[in-house]
Parts: sequence; C-alpha cells; structure tokens
Amino acid sequence: MESGIHLQDVSLTLQGKPVLAGITLHLTEPRIGLIGRNGSGKTSLLRLIAGLVAPTSGSLRVEGARPSDRKAMLGALGILFQNPDHQILFPTVIEELAFGLIQQGIPKPQALTRARAALAAEGRAHWENAPTHSLSQGQRQYLCLLSVLLMQPRWLLLDEPFAALDLPTQARLRRRLDALPQRLVTISHAPEAVQACQRVLWLEEGRLRADGAPDQVLPEFGAEMARRGAVDADTDL
Amino acid sequence: MERSLARIALFAALIAALGFVPKIDMGFGVPITAQTLGVMLCGTVLGARSGALAVLLFMALALLGLPILAGGRNGFAALASPSVGFFLGFPVAAFVTGWLMTWSKQVSTVATFNAAVFGGIVTLYLFGIPGIAAKAGLSLTEAFWSAMVFVPGDVIKAAVAALVTTALARARPGLVAGAKEPASAQF
Amino acid sequence: MLTLTSSRQTWAHDWPAGVKLGLLVLFTLILFALPGVTLTALGLALPLALATALGLVGDWLRLLRPLLWVGAVILAWHGFRGTPEPGVIAVLRMVAALGAANLVTMTTRLSDMQAVFLWLARPLSPLVPPARLALAMALMIRFLPVLSLRAEQLSQAWAARSRRRIGWALVFAVTLAALDDAEHVAEALRARGGVG
Ligand SMILES: Nc1ncnc2c1ncn2[C@@H]1O[C@H](COP(=O)(O)OP(=O)(O)O)[C@@H](O)[C@H]1O
Ligand SMILES: [Mg+2]
Repeated sequence: MESGIHLQDVSLTLQGKPVLAGITLHLTEPRIGLIGRNGSGKTSLLRLIAGLVAPTSGSLRVEGARPSDRKAMLGALGILFQNPDHQILFPTVIEELAFGLIQQGIPKPQALTRARAALAAEGRAHWENAPTHSLSQGQRQYLCLLSVLLMQPRWLLLDEPFAALDLPTQARLRRRLDALPQRLVTISHAPEAVQACQRVLWLEEGRLRADGAPDQVLPEFGAEMARRGAVDADTDL
Repeated sequence: MERSLARIALFAALIAALGFVPKIDMGFGVPITAQTLGVMLCGTVLGARSGALAVLLFMALALLGLPILAGGRNGFAALASPSVGFFLGFPVAAFVTGWLMTWSKQVSTVATFNAAVFGGIVTLYLFGIPGIAAKAGLSLTEAFWSAMVFVPGDVIKAAVAALVTTALARARPGLVAGAKEPASAQF
Repeated sequence: MLTLTSSRQTWAHDWPAGVKLGLLVLFTLILFALPGVTLTALGLALPLALATALGLVGDWLRLLRPLLWVGAVILAWHGFRGTPEPGVIAVLRMVAALGAANLVTMTTRLSDMQAVFLWLARPLSPLVPPARLALAMALMIRFLPVLSLRAEQLSQAWAARSRRRIGWALVFAVTLAALDDAEHVAEALRARGGVG
C-alpha cells in the first residue's frame, strides 16, 4: 500500500473564488505544521485532505485510498474541527464516543463497552451520561479528540487545536498530542505551536509559500508577519 | 444525504426553540407563539418533503414527552387539548407550504407570503377547527369563529416567514430550497 | 436535560415503557367511551389516585396547569350557551387524558420512550431506516439547547441596545444559525463515515 498523503496539483474553487491553487505535496512526516494568515486556505486544505470537499482539479490519495472511499478513509484519517460545537453530534458523551465505532461496523453493545473503557482509562468514567453541551470548551475539544482517537486512525488532522483554550489546558492537550503514535497535521497561525514539527507548510493566498524544516520556514514567516503587522494591516483584516 | 438529514434535525430543533420565545396565550389552548412560524419556515426554507419530515420529527420528540410545544407542553398535552388538530396538521401545513413554493421561479417575498398563508394558515386551520369542535364540544361553526381569533397573529407570522425566507435566500444562496427542493431530499 | 421525567425514582419507573404506554392507550380509549359526568369524573380519579400513590401529586398537578385556561374558557362558553354537561365532560376528559399521559412521561426515561418509539416505527423501516431515525432524534436533542441558547443570547444582545422587543430579526438569526449548523453537522457526519 502506498504510504502517506499525496496531493497532485490540487486546486479548489468555492463559489467562483479560488481558495487553493496548484498544490503538490507528499506528506509522510510524523509531525507536520500548517501555518498561514487568516483566510490563507489552511482549513480548506485540511477539509480537502479529509475528503470533506472534492478538489476542483488535481488528485488526492490518503494512504493509497481515494477520499471517496469513505470506509478506507475512516481508518486512515481522523479530523478535529476548529470548533468542537461543529463536531459534536450527540446529546450525551457516551453516544458521541460510540458513534464512530458503530460507523466502523462495530456492533453497538461492543462500541458502548469500548467507549466506557476509554472514558475509564482517562479517569472520566463519570462523564458517561453527561450532556455534551454542558461541558466546558476545553472538555468539549477533549471529547472530540477522544472520539476520533477511539477510531484509531493513522493520521490526525487538527485545525487550530489550541486557539480557544486557556494556557493550562493548552499545555495538557499538547502533552497528550505529543505522546500520540499517530501522524499529526496541525494547523496554527502561531509559529511556536509548530516549532517541534519535522516539517512546516506555509500557505499564502491558497498557494504553498514555503515548505521545509521549522528552522527554515518559521523565521521567514515571523519576519513576514511582523512586516505586515507594521504596515497597514487592517486594510485586509 | 447527510445534509438532508442534518437539515431535518436542525429545523425540528428550530421549531422547538422558536416555541420557547416568549408568547401570549389567548385562550382555547392555542397560544400565540413563534412555533407555527417554525412550521411555516420548514416549508419555505427546506421545501415540501424535508420540511414535512422536520415537523414529523419535532412531533415525534414531543410525543416522547419532551415539553417542546408552545407553553412548555408535550405531545400528550397537545393531543388532549383543543389544539390537537393544529398539532396533527403541522406536517401537512409544512408540506403544502413547501409545495406552493415551487409555483414561483424564485424566492420572492410575495410568493413566500402566499405559500405561508395557504399552507400555514388555510391548510392548518382545516385540521385545527375540527379539533377545537371535537375537544371543546362545540359545533364546527362555533369552532370556526373561535379560531378566527388567531388569524391576525398568523398572518403576521406568514409575513415574518416571507421576510426571513427572502433574507435567508440572500444571505445563503443555495441553502434555501425555495422553488427547487433538491431531488436528493430524503430522510 | 430537558424532560418531564421525575428525578425521584418510584416503583412505576421500573415498569417497561411499552406496558405503560399500552395501558395509557387503553385508558384513553375507555375514557372517551364513558358516558355521563359521573363516570368521566371517576376516570379522572384514577390518574389522580395513582399520582398520589406515587408521591408525585405536586408535580402532576403543576403539569396540568396549561389546561386551566382552556378548561375555564370551555366551561364559560358552554355555560353561556346553556349546555353545561357536555362542557364539563369535555374538560374532565381533557384533564384525565393528559393527567394519565403525564404519569407515563414522569415515570419513564426518555431513552426508554425512544426505544418504544423506534420499535413502533419498525414497520416503516423501508422508508425510514431505524438507525437514521435514531440519529435524527439524537441530533435534534443535541441541537435544541444550542438553538434555544442562541435565541436567548440574541434577545439579550438586542435588549442591551434597544428598548423595543426583538422581532423578526431574532427569527432570522436563529433560522440562519439552524441552516449553518446543519452544514456543519452534515460535514461532521461525513467526517465520521456518513449516514450510509
Ligand atoms: N464554503 C466557502 N465558500 C466560499 N468561500 C469560502 C468557503 N470556505 C472558505 N472560503 C474562503 O476560502 C478562503 C480560505 O478559507 P480558510 O480555508 O477557512 O482559511 P484559513 O483556515 O486559513 O483561515 C477564505 O477567503 C474564505 O473566505
Ligand atoms: Mg481556519
């Protein structure tokens, strides 16, 4: 089986607006960072890789599977949306956790057992019947992560996972993510968050502006952001 | 497929949420709330089939005992009270409203208002009036006149449904079914 | 959670939901067949006695309050018309039927009700697959508090800046939220394997 994520000259146009253009990538590194300004196309690229939008042109393979092959994709890749409220589908924690497993063909009783075991292993057994909307922002995000991890994907796509969290929660989540065996692609607009990655991609207006080790990409990115901040930034807020 | 299901579920929740907006109760157990507005919007925004399914889902949850009907009532309260006909007529009203939306080529305020009046008022009252007659022990004529109390409020709701639907069609082109409910609309 | 289920456990909580609903249907059918004021009043006595025996009579009475107004209007109308007896019967039936239904609701968990409902809906399974129906119900229960909260936040934001009551702007904003949330939900469903 082909390994990694392949994008071949991928473009995406949404409602007449070019959002991504001419992107060719082969991703294999365990930790990859994706940076860029607001609106540069980071989220769109992640959704495209996850098979949630189809490219307007070009082709895409995740571990050899086409994005339309939903069954193969479920095992290959999981995605964490930026806003957990857009991801949580069920009124209670246990239903949310079990859903992905049921979708993978595991019978409901086993799925519930495994979800319960996962909660217990995290020291959160008391969450089982908690209403999802009563959890805090950090807890909701954590629930989304657990739900995706239960499905045991080989890749994890994370859209600004730290953006809405307070500092202690950020630190906890970071330790948790660092320990994962999965390959991670993490979006951030903050360079520090991707410092420890093996590879950093920099998107600018839907194109790949830079692609390389953090030491190569991040200083240039930092300088560019500082330059833009100094100039009249609010014209394109 | 996922989208169709999600729209049905979210609009079922919308009908309930609109029912919680403060209301005035004018007697005969048919409170004036934004709830029937929710039913009209199911038809005008989702179209006939999805709109009716959203209303049916809402009714199912009310019949499971959730207090999601106007005034904090559940489905059993609706079945026991004179508003039973209105409750049972909800899905038909949404369906007729959605179907009438297909009569005009695009979403316009006037066409939407007409659809909401014929679907959400005329059709709904065809179900509601016999319900009042049966549960309150009145003749059909008496029931008819007692129901007329609610017509002005409902005409206002139809106007609001029209304004909201056209504004939505502008804010989210492609998301308002209007004249062209997607063929894929299914549960 | 938004339910009318009583948090106080009673012996009736342990009865199967299907049995309770079956008895409710039977009771309602008999109730509407009973002639005369006396027999109908006896029909009301039964749920009242049960509610008292279960120790739920306070909550039970509170849940009947929405019918107070309706009942008063029906009685007044029939009194005005000079036909008190059908008026009294109509009100007694209404209160008894709702009272009995509320007893079932108060002593049955939502998930058990849902199971009975899905079982009843099985004949429809070629049209409405049970798994999809269950998913739709879960989605609605999940997003009901979300949309209600949205409505409340909007009216507060409005009240902070206006002396008038919020009107159609609220309806527009909440409906827009429902449309947008539906797009997000559809995407989240697809990300986890879709609805098949
Ligand atoms: N559904 C859509 N329709 C039209 N334009 C969109 C849509 N989604 C995103 N865009 C546009 O694509 C660009 C990139 O958006 P996004 O991928 O969210 O950027 P980022 O995540 O880097 O902030 C933005 O200009 C945005 O307005
Ligand atoms: Mg983004």
